[in-house]
Amino acid sequence: MEATPKVEFLGLTFDVTVMIGTLFTAVAVFLLTVLASRGLQMRPGKLQNLVEMIIEFARGITRMTLDAKNAERYLGFALTLFLFILIANQLGIIMMVSAEVHHPIPALGLTEDVLEKVHGHVGLFKSPTADINVTVAMALAIALYAHFLGIKKSPKDYLAHYFKPFKWMVFLHLIDEVAKPTTHAMRLWANIFAGEVMILILLKFGTPLVSGAPLLIWMAFSLFVGAIQAYIFTVLATVYISQKISDEH
Amino acid sequence: MSILAGGIMIGLAALAAGVGNGLLFSRYLEGITRQPEARGTLFGQAMITLGLVEALPIISIAFGILVLFKIIG
Repeated sequence: MEATPKVEFLGLTFDVTVMIGTLFTAVAVFLLTVLASRGLQMRPGKLQNLVEMIIEFARGITRMTLDAKNAERYLGFALTLFLFILIANQLGIIMMVSAEVHHPIPALGLTEDVLEKVHGHVGLFKSPTADINVTVAMALAIALYAHFLGIKKSPKDYLAHYFKPFKWMVFLHLIDEVAKPTTHAMRLWANIFAGEVMILILLKFGTPLVSGAPLLIWMAFSLFVGAIQAYIFTVLATVYISQKISDEH
Repeated sequence: MSILAGGIMIGLAALAAGVGNGLLFSRYLEGITRQPEARGTLFGQAMITLGLVEALPIISIAFGILVLFKIIG
């Protein structure tokens, strides 16, 4: 495992690599959408075509789970989530961006025993979604947003649905509400984290002759996994919102 | 001890993922033999289900790695 520079601020620990990764992803998503929407044409060029395809894809996700009016309202939410996670998941492919640190830097959490453990190699770049704090924060935000929408729609219905269909089922509902954000976060994190560790192991403990081909195959597979997990995370987010705002219960 | 624990976690996850994916894709193959024209839609659905099924073993593998490299536990 690689050591990463960390900053202490107000009693909280911030991972610098996560901040670099998040910033990089945010800028990439921003540039992609802004460049694609400059000079819109009826006969779209390559970039506009690509982004229009992604938007149609996100519209498919929201249409699948929400009714027509709400599908358009949450299209922006689904699209932002999908694009961010899709690009963030692929950052793990850019590997070996690391620094050789010979002198301990206590301000960045790089003390002597940490450096000794990793032989001076300090990672500077990784997928932000390979850090559990990022995915838990996203899943918690989505869960809170879903609860907020449910309460805003009708506080009475929101409370009543916990006691349906039977009164004692409130325990099952409460377990459900805790389990949903937990698995939502862990599903994304574990997939990306396991993929990155596998790439690291293949790089460190193999010669190019032996582990070269498996590394290429695994990298192709992790591109695929990253896309699938971005899709699943977005689908589940819209499902959790639709459970709270649909009229059935 | 942590090597043993990590090994057991990763091994059991692989076992469970093998059984789960085997069940999933055997049903998928049955489906496309019965209705070859539904192949496109079934493939998409199978891949989504694969992502959902894979989540639990991969969570176990991720924690197995953390235990193996003595980051937690």
